[in-house]
Amino acid sequence: MDHTSSFEKFLRGALITLVLVFFLFPIVWIFLMSLQTNETILRIPPSLAFTPIIDNYTALITGQLRTAAGSLQLNFMQNMFNSVLLSVCSVALSLVLGVPAAYAFARFKFRLGEDIAFTLLSFRFAPALLVLLPLSLYFKTLGLTNTYIGLIWVYQLICLPLILWIVRGYFEDISPDIEHAYRIAGNSWWRTFRKISIPLAKPGIAAAGLLAFIFAWNNFIFALILASADKQPVTVGALAFVTASGIQYGQIAAAIILSITPTLALALYAQRYLVEGLSMGAVKG
Amino acid sequence: MTADAIEKRAPVKQSRFMRRALPYLLSLPALLMCIGILIPFFTAVYYSMLRYRMNLPAMKGFIWFDNYINFFTDPKFWNTVYISLTYAALTVGLELLLGLAIALLLQRPSRFNNIASIMLLLPLMTAPALAALMWKLMTHPDFGILSYLLSLIGIQDFKWASDPATALFTVVLVDIWVYTPFMMILLLAGLRSLPKAPFEAAALDGVPRSFVFFRITLPMLMPYILTATLFRLLDSIQQFDIIYAMTQGGPGDKLLVFQVQAYLDFFQATNVGRSAALMIILWAITYALSNVFIKQWLKLRERAHGAH
Amino acid sequence: MYDKEKGLFDAFVAKKMSRRELIQATGKAGLTASAAGFLLTQAQTRAMAADFDWQKYKGSKLKLLLNKHPYADAMIANIQTFKDMTGMDISWDIFPEDVYFDKVTAALSSGSTEYDAFMTGAYMTWTYGPAGWITDLNEFIKDPAKTNPTYNWDDVLPGLRASTSWNGVPGGELGSADAKQWCIPWGFELNNLSYNKKMFDKVGVQPPKNMGEMLEVSAKLTKDLGGPYGVGVRGSRSWATIHPGFLSGYANFGEKDFNVADGKLKAAMNTAGSKSFHKDWVRMIQDSGPKNWSTYTWYQVGTDLGGGASAMIFDADILGYFMNGGDNKEAGNLGYAPFAANPAASAPTPNVWIWSLAMNNAGTQKDATWYFMQWASSVEHDLFGARKMDFVNPVRASVWKDEEFRARIDKSYPGYLNQYEVSAPGAKIYFTAQPLFFDLTTLWAENLQKMVAKEIPVDEGLDTMAAEMDKKLAEAGLG
Repeated sequence: MDHTSSFEKFLRGALITLVLVFFLFPIVWIFLMSLQTNETILRIPPSLAFTPIIDNYTALITGQLRTAAGSLQLNFMQNMFNSVLLSVCSVALSLVLGVPAAYAFARFKFRLGEDIAFTLLSFRFAPALLVLLPLSLYFKTLGLTNTYIGLIWVYQLICLPLILWIVRGYFEDISPDIEHAYRIAGNSWWRTFRKISIPLAKPGIAAAGLLAFIFAWNNFIFALILASADKQPVTVGALAFVTASGIQYGQIAAAIILSITPTLALALYAQRYLVEGLSMGAVKG
Repeated sequence: MTADAIEKRAPVKQSRFMRRALPYLLSLPALLMCIGILIPFFTAVYYSMLRYRMNLPAMKGFIWFDNYINFFTDPKFWNTVYISLTYAALTVGLELLLGLAIALLLQRPSRFNNIASIMLLLPLMTAPALAALMWKLMTHPDFGILSYLLSLIGIQDFKWASDPATALFTVVLVDIWVYTPFMMILLLAGLRSLPKAPFEAAALDGVPRSFVFFRITLPMLMPYILTATLFRLLDSIQQFDIIYAMTQGGPGDKLLVFQVQAYLDFFQATNVGRSAALMIILWAITYALSNVFIKQWLKLRERAHGAH
Repeated sequence: MYDKEKGLFDAFVAKKMSRRELIQATGKAGLTASAAGFLLTQAQTRAMAADFDWQKYKGSKLKLLLNKHPYADAMIANIQTFKDMTGMDISWDIFPEDVYFDKVTAALSSGSTEYDAFMTGAYMTWTYGPAGWITDLNEFIKDPAKTNPTYNWDDVLPGLRASTSWNGVPGGELGSADAKQWCIPWGFELNNLSYNKKMFDKVGVQPPKNMGEMLEVSAKLTKDLGGPYGVGVRGSRSWATIHPGFLSGYANFGEKDFNVADGKLKAAMNTAGSKSFHKDWVRMIQDSGPKNWSTYTWYQVGTDLGGGASAMIFDADILGYFMNGGDNKEAGNLGYAPFAANPAASAPTPNVWIWSLAMNNAGTQKDATWYFMQWASSVEHDLFGARKMDFVNPVRASVWKDEEFRARIDKSYPGYLNQYEVSAPGAKIYFTAQPLFFDLTTLWAENLQKMVAKEIPVDEGLDTMAAEMDKKLAEAGLG
């Protein structure tokens, strides 16, 4: 039944290998750096011969960094916690508000509908730098400076438009006939939305949620400007190793690896939903 | 079957009011949650009409559109426009092609393909500012692994981001590395949710695969392509992290894109008026571009629904 | 319980007894080193407490904004002394250097009252001062009711005191009689040569003494070492490329950035002397500088020296200092030398970077904040940092005379004290203070990049650049 030639299989395999090497080599290299000191990282030419150490990780996790200048306090785990809190809350909020809105735009033609949808999208155009100064002034007036609530509100501005427009596309691809059939069987609109529409759009919701999470996770300008040191995300935390007494590449590498972990875990979890994409094709118009 | 028929037979009756209000009830909370950003936005629009440099407070004054008018006669401004658009076109174009190719390679849902697609997201998960720091080390002429590997195949002294001739190439390469996975995952999700029937029919009829790709896959995927491209374009034309961390806009003025210039104007020169005007122009360009995209997207959607 | 010994420490702090005498005396008394350290801290407190009510703001809470820096580490290591002495509570936010000044600008421009004092460079006060974000500290320093009698402001190196004060007039001379003291010098760096002795020995060269020798020596190093390049300098598109080695060498030829006449500024980078220096500088980078020069910030310059990729740097002395320790490959191999670019000059003229403390003008407890600032810049804390931590270079003349500090530096950093002493008299800020500082130095760096890349010739490039700067100055009402 499979009529792909063995040459094509080979070509496909070779291409996938090439792609994986290009995208993953730097990550592997960063991982290897995270197991070294500056002394072995900065060698001419670079070399793979080194005795791995886990000091960079223990320093980040325990919060004690030993340097030539003595022991320094770090709060990298606090940074991690902030990133998780800000990203999870803002994505959750964006999903709760964005998915129903996406459904509305996909299913109903209503007055001003497209205008509202485009306005929501346009919130993403405003460069962060543009609104930063006024935002920090208004935050000060409203008492939102240095609060998680204020930051989550700003973060959802990054997430919501993305979620809304991606998920909308998936809803539009689901035939309304399935929903109609379910409603005729005596179910309320709300129940239909929960039991039929959302499950069918799951791959889209998973992809959008994951991407929004990543964008929230990688952002740092808002927290930097609007909050104090104890509310900074990992992206700011990792920069702490660019110090006046030298740049600690090993620790930055370890910080990158640690900061990837939660997102990777989430992605591996969401993978199940991404895969369902194919099976649902069967029930579509 | 008409909507009326459904309503008549549905046991749970909805009032006329509810039916009308429903879309608003669903979409307005999102709008209300976000609308607050318009206040700082309009404040910034106001700033853009001021001669407002924080360390020259005596000069502050309302000057209507002078900040904008000054740009149009400034060759540096046009350089910025040119670089930003070139950068956006190159990165988004290449990432789209590459992302689509990878999505097609990984389309078949096997365990390997699923894991590979998640692993390919790793670059995207690395914060661009930190990724750029690592790329800077990897392209270091002495300590850098990439420079070393190049020297092994006979390319000595490749100067990466520091040479005006290769600087754009280098930052585009890093951008591709970071953001192609974004395209890939959206297109992969799109590919996998395409209906099977047309493909099965084509396979039965022995239609050539190039025909299937250009006449069936691509058109059906187009809405996904547009969405992914739109979001990538929004971010790419506003790129800051990668360029600033790699070259700070140099060498010379080779990579002086909008956000880098506006950042320097704001944070270093404290020239709030000029910085805001520059950002508003960037906003306008983005607005116009996305308007084109959305119109196209809606047209495609219309056509698709017409086919139902 | 240490009553008898307390007398010894008081005598030492009052400078009635040398350090050696103190060590001998405490040795006889059978004191352990840690107990001695403890008593010294206590003695510091008592010395400072004489005739001054340190407890006046007991119970106040202050908050600082700090850069991730060894100076901040040294302060934190000693902060208990301050808390005990004043009964005040103090907390701080530390941000990485990469984003630190963005945070400061954001906090100050929004009128935030969160931070009472913060770390800054002197150049930044040319923005913060005119913007009204920081307080003139003269009103505190000159008020005996607010400043403790042992503070000894005149002990702070005169070049640094002058470089941190400005009357706010564009082009106004630093340290003039009507100048406002925008910040207090805390620690500073001057720009000289740090070099790899092993590499110099291998090639058989001595540290260059002027620009001509620099071109020769760095080219020879590049050629003969077969790998490492001759001289590391910064090159990124930023003001930070202009201020270290480049401006120090430039000033040594008597060249200026701007001329001031009748309160108007005019760019002065296109003189014959300037053009010739630019040519040498550009050739130095092309022949023997880092290959990726135009992306180089201080940390690449430092990393290369520490990792053995460069043989020498013309940059901050403390950058070379830090590269001689830690887990750097070349730790222990580095030496230091003064550098006067102009063969006709009698001494080096290093431009300086001064990490300073400034007071937030929006702060709500300025008098209490000044208590912290005078403590943090006191002789006692400066001594503690210089002896025990990496609080170098100290800003006080008396600390440079301290035997323990000198012995520590001399032991591990050969030539460091000498380069300092030869250059210190000429060490100050050589830029003209004016509000467009960052715009114009960035433009300068941009043009330097184009010259090194051979996109524009030096002569013509400088003429065009000077014209462009004059235009910008005129637009801002300064030219």
